[in-house]
Amino acid sequence: MLASCNVVVESKQMRIISTIVILVCTSTIPAWAALGQPHESIKLDMQRMKGKLATKEMPGYSVEEITRGDGSVLREFVSPQGQIFGIAWQGMTMPNLTQLLGPSGDAFQKATQGTHHRGPLSVHVGDLVVETGGHMRSFRVRAYRLDLLPRGISEEVVQ
Amino acid sequence: MSGPHGLMRLRARQAWMLLAGGTVLLATGGCGSGSSSGSGTTSSGGGTTTPTPVNNTLSIQASSGATNQFFNLLLTTVTICVPGTGTCQNVPNVLVDTGSTGLRLLASSLTISLPMVSDSSGNPLGNCAAFAGNTYAWGPVATADVTLAGETASKVPIQVINASGFPVVPEACSVGGTNTDASSLGANGILGVGVTQQDCGSACATAASELPPIYFGCASSGCVAEAVALQQQLQNPVGLFPQDNNGVVITLPALDTGGDPSASGSLVFGIGTQTDNSLIGVQVYTTDANGNFSVTFNGSTYPGSFLDTGSNAFFFLNATSLGVPTCPVNTSFYCPASTVNYSAITTGTNGAQNTIAFSIANANALFNTGNNVFNDVGGPNVGGFDLGLPFFFGRTVYVAIEGANAGGVTGPYYAF
Repeated sequence: MLASCNVVVESKQMRIISTIVILVCTSTIPAWAALGQPHESIKLDMQRMKGKLATKEMPGYSVEEITRGDGSVLREFVSPQGQIFGIAWQGMTMPNLTQLLGPSGDAFQKATQGTHHRGPLSVHVGDLVVETGGHMRSFRVRAYRLDLLPRGISEEVVQ
Repeated sequence: MSGPHGLMRLRARQAWMLLAGGTVLLATGGCGSGSSSGSGTTSSGGGTTTPTPVNNTLSIQASSGATNQFFNLLLTTVTICVPGTGTCQNVPNVLVDTGSTGLRLLASSLTISLPMVSDSSGNPLGNCAAFAGNTYAWGPVATADVTLAGETASKVPIQVINASGFPVVPEACSVGGTNTDASSLGANGILGVGVTQQDCGSACATAASELPPIYFGCASSGCVAEAVALQQQLQNPVGLFPQDNNGVVITLPALDTGGDPSASGSLVFGIGTQTDNSLIGVQVYTTDANGNFSVTFNGSTYPGSFLDTGSNAFFFLNATSLGVPTCPVNTSFYCPASTVNYSAITTGTNGAQNTIAFSIANANALFNTGNNVFNDVGGPNVGGFDLGLPFFFGRTVYVAIEGANAGGVTGPYYAF
């Protein structure tokens, strides 16, 4: 687990990311791959979710799909440059969005604080879009960064 | 006619309860306050005997919620008792939710001490509920006798939210914002009366390498996800009533244009069991195991669609796919320049179809009216159509529990 964390630290130079990874490593829980992070980090998600990985090559991007034992599915949409530009979730419970959104997690959290409604969220902060939905046993989430979308690829592919 | 499944579950739980130990003081208020109510039910003795009818109608109100901060919250009052005793209390302002299953009450709303449930290892059992708005609720499983109108379910596993002294929320549960008080929840609890009998079901009942993060055994070293038998999971209390236990019927009045300050209606227990809940004049839409059916809109079909009194708007599509902007600040709602009328086709897994009509008004304009309940507020959703509380105004909607014979049709289904 610690070795996996080190891979992420080496691949990211941003101080913020390093800090997060060190915090996570000291609690011996591997980091999550996240929006805006490199494709290699998906292997960590696979370990974290104890899931099975399937890769689909699409015209102009690829989809890494991790399926958990409980049927939850996390899809990570990867640009030709190897960066995760979108994530989609389908499962019995909600995922940890603060982790999955990576550097955008804080902005998302701030945007959702103090909301007084019950139901799905639709959040637009800068280039970040996060949409949630569903009900008990049947949840859906999609999130993407407009600034990371590969040229000619619509955000609608993130499903 | 009384469905037999509830009685069988009840017997299984009574045997199990003997093994569960200990009580925990879940609130500082002590015992004895609140009202006491009689059982209100009579035993039928099984077979073909018709049970003596009891009051099966609970009053419900749509409003701005327990702290006046929300809109379109459907609330009621539940009565809970320490199992087998006359130590009872009323809990007002509990959200009526067809999008979840199980009774969940804020610890801060309790004045009586309920027996806490232990798992098979003798550790306290914790429960985690996730909600679509990226919030969660965490707390111990306890048991209570639950009385709704004249119906009583005995020894029902419920969740006590944010109980002091209970282990801290495990990381796997603490995703998103937390529901810890009436301000964050908008209510003192949630009465989940959806189509499923348990909150999790079989996915949590069998030991597996990766369980959903819903049930946790809380040893001193921390809370770890574990398998819990169906009977020990949170239950739809309606399915545990001795009678009128196959589902609910929700009736709410039509609203005025621009909304109303509040609206009152009824939550009737049972379908086809008494003269007030006949399955007549409605279309029955069977659903999948999780309560999803299909909505077809503008030529596209959305199979992950559902009816949810716990969602306070029509949530569907998004600004791009609908062609309607979201509101400038609150992007979880639509703000069209003027009210837009839509129609869609609802389709059950049984193939039953009908057309529904609804409107979406400018949410900010609605909120500025000062009213609290609206039948034309909408917002985006991922996946299917979340036909929230606005859908229920001016309708009578039936929600039948999985596996139950409800008016001659086996649940799960919606009918309207």
